[in-house]
Amino acid sequence: MSGVDLTELLAQVRAGNRDAWGELYRQCAPAIFRFCRRVLPVHEDAEDATTEIFMKVRLKLGTYDSSRPFMAWLYKVASNHCWDTLRRRHIRQDLETGDVDTLPLEHPEPGPIERLQAERTSQEVRSGLAKLPDRARMALTLRYYAEMSYEEIAEALGVRRQFVGVLLLRARHQLREALAQSSVRAAFAGRNT
Amino acid sequence: MSDIENRSSGRVDDHVDELTALLYLDGELEAARTREVAAHAETCAGCRELLRALETEGAWLRKGLTEEEPLPARLLEAPERGAAPWGWIGVFGLAAGGAYTVWSRLIDPWLAQAAQAGFTGWNLLMMLFFSGAFWKGWDAMGNTMEILSVATVGTIFVWLVPRFGRRLAMASVALAAILCAIALAPSAGAAEVHHGNHGDHYMLAAGQEVKTDLIVTARSIEIDGDVDGDLIVWSQSVTVNGHVKGDILCWAQHLQMNGSVDGNVRSWVQDLSLNGTVGKNVMDWSQDFDLADKAKIGGTLTLWGDHADLNGPVAGDLLAWGRSLQINGVLGRDACIRAERLSIGPTAAIAGQTKYTGGQQPDISPGAKLGTPIQIVALGEKGPPFRPWKHHWHPFSTLVARFLFWVASFLFGLVMLLLVPGFFRDATNACQRIGPSIGFGFLFLVATPIAVLIACLTIVGLGLGIVTFLLYLIAVYSAQIFVGAWIGEKILGASTCVGSAIGRLALGLAIVRVARMLPYLGGWVCFLVVIWGLGALILATYKRLHPQVAAVA
Repeated sequence: MSGVDLTELLAQVRAGNRDAWGELYRQCAPAIFRFCRRVLPVHEDAEDATTEIFMKVRLKLGTYDSSRPFMAWLYKVASNHCWDTLRRRHIRQDLETGDVDTLPLEHPEPGPIERLQAERTSQEVRSGLAKLPDRARMALTLRYYAEMSYEEIAEALGVRRQFVGVLLLRARHQLREALAQSSVRAAFAGRNT
Repeated sequence: MSDIENRSSGRVDDHVDELTALLYLDGELEAARTREVAAHAETCAGCRELLRALETEGAWLRKGLTEEEPLPARLLEAPERGAAPWGWIGVFGLAAGGAYTVWSRLIDPWLAQAAQAGFTGWNLLMMLFFSGAFWKGWDAMGNTMEILSVATVGTIFVWLVPRFGRRLAMASVALAAILCAIALAPSAGAAEVHHGNHGDHYMLAAGQEVKTDLIVTARSIEIDGDVDGDLIVWSQSVTVNGHVKGDILCWAQHLQMNGSVDGNVRSWVQDLSLNGTVGKNVMDWSQDFDLADKAKIGGTLTLWGDHADLNGPVAGDLLAWGRSLQINGVLGRDACIRAERLSIGPTAAIAGQTKYTGGQQPDISPGAKLGTPIQIVALGEKGPPFRPWKHHWHPFSTLVARFLFWVASFLFGLVMLLLVPGFFRDATNACQRIGPSIGFGFLFLVATPIAVLIACLTIVGLGLGIVTFLLYLIAVYSAQIFVGAWIGEKILGASTCVGSAIGRLALGLAIVRVARMLPYLGGWVCFLVVIWGLGALILATYKRLHPQVAAVA
């Protein structure tokens, strides 16, 4: 999707062109749906969220600052919506920054990390991601899918910027652990059959 | 420098720690520290490997997360903002119009008529619902309960299975439940329908038999033959000389019943003349009602009307309100009468208790046989209406009562919170969507009684209508729970465990209760809370019934 096309489309959408809105949706909806799928574990929730996000986008398009990348703004709207959905649905028991000290400073062996990357498929990564706590899942998605900066992630999740690194590293640890546990289970199941 | 930055500046056994390595890769370290880490990595193979592993892990995550996934069919079209405000205006307009119509055409005249007969307030409703005459009969209720139980099982399936299945599976379960319900439904659906033959007259000749229900609209109707099912008629004049095995539902100017009915008779007529036999109950709205001495009613007789003459026997209770009532027949059980005038003749006999509320002293013949002395409640020309909620209690008693009401609502909420915590949370969260909640709540508040009324007027819907109305009352009561819990959370913040949720519920409910006591505004607060909470309940129910699928990436 080229920037020029998008700028032109946005101008037409703002002018009330329904076809342009349809085209903009066709261009952006797959990315936003994937984003929602990563963040919201339930498929129907992701579908609902995609629709609701675009309804919001249509209403809020007037507030979009065209000097900034449109997709970044779109991801921001999407992350706010999904985070609100998760917060509404679950009683959050994790504290914002209170558990910083629980992350040990260590220099792990790179071998197991690389082995895990070699052994696990993309689908398994997504399955592992779905098992993570909401905030960890959200942080990884914002960083490695939406390519948000630490500043933007901090704003989206309502945490201090300095905490984002800890959040991302802990999320990586949790994902590694989830994937390692699924390997153990798979090996155990294979031995029993 | 923050504590986190301090922590990330450390080393582990002369190596760069993992957090520092990640921040370095993401360009989040200060310039000096970045240079330090870069210099160290030049000379340290272990740290170079860690940096490479973390970097490839990042790329691996990007690849895993960004992999293409087809857009579901329902998302292929762009959502339109549509004419949402106009939609809402339309919905509110229709609801308001419907409410006004029902009120002005049905409720208001009905209440006025009831008030004229001395009935006001809830006692009328109580009598309607708890008198045996209002029910079609327990056999019909049995069928309704079967359908309801199947529907309930279907609903539970739809509720539970989404966690384990896919949308298609949901559709199959729902479809199966509906099919089961249809299969179990009584065969009352089959019916013969006629619109008057031979001009404007319809006649079922003697010897003829209709094997199903018979529905007829004509200027005049004469039923001399037999009807195996129910007889439903709209006409100016109806005469039944034959045998109806089901019920009779009649909207007419004149109804003359000379034959026999095994079921119930429900009529909305100007005058009803009952000369035959009714196996079950009679419920009649008419100006004049005449029960001949050779006629017989096997169940309860319920009357709303101007004038009624009861010369024949009634095996069940008598519930009557109207202007004047004359009893000369035998009543097998109790009689509860509200009328301006009551006359009990010498041939009358009432086996049970007799309660009369009216403006004039009843005229009781010395020859009349009453099981117990008549209980008379005298009303003035326009006696004080019965309003249990307008008792002038002592202020302290009022406060105690308010407190008890709060306790009752809190206990109700507590049970909901503990039994269905997920649904409770969904409904509480739905209160956040104030506009949709209030809109849906208002619609539900108005539309449900209309639907119940329509259901009650149809042949198989009476039991269903009453059950729905009772569920509606429960829903209206529970509305305050969700709004209260939401208010509690707004004040004290989101709850983190059951204990804190209970505290928030108690506080929110107390606030709602206090707000309802405000002079002038209290009623509006109550109304707002009801529609708001009802709407939240609907949104949460919709959310629950909406198919959901566990994540399988």
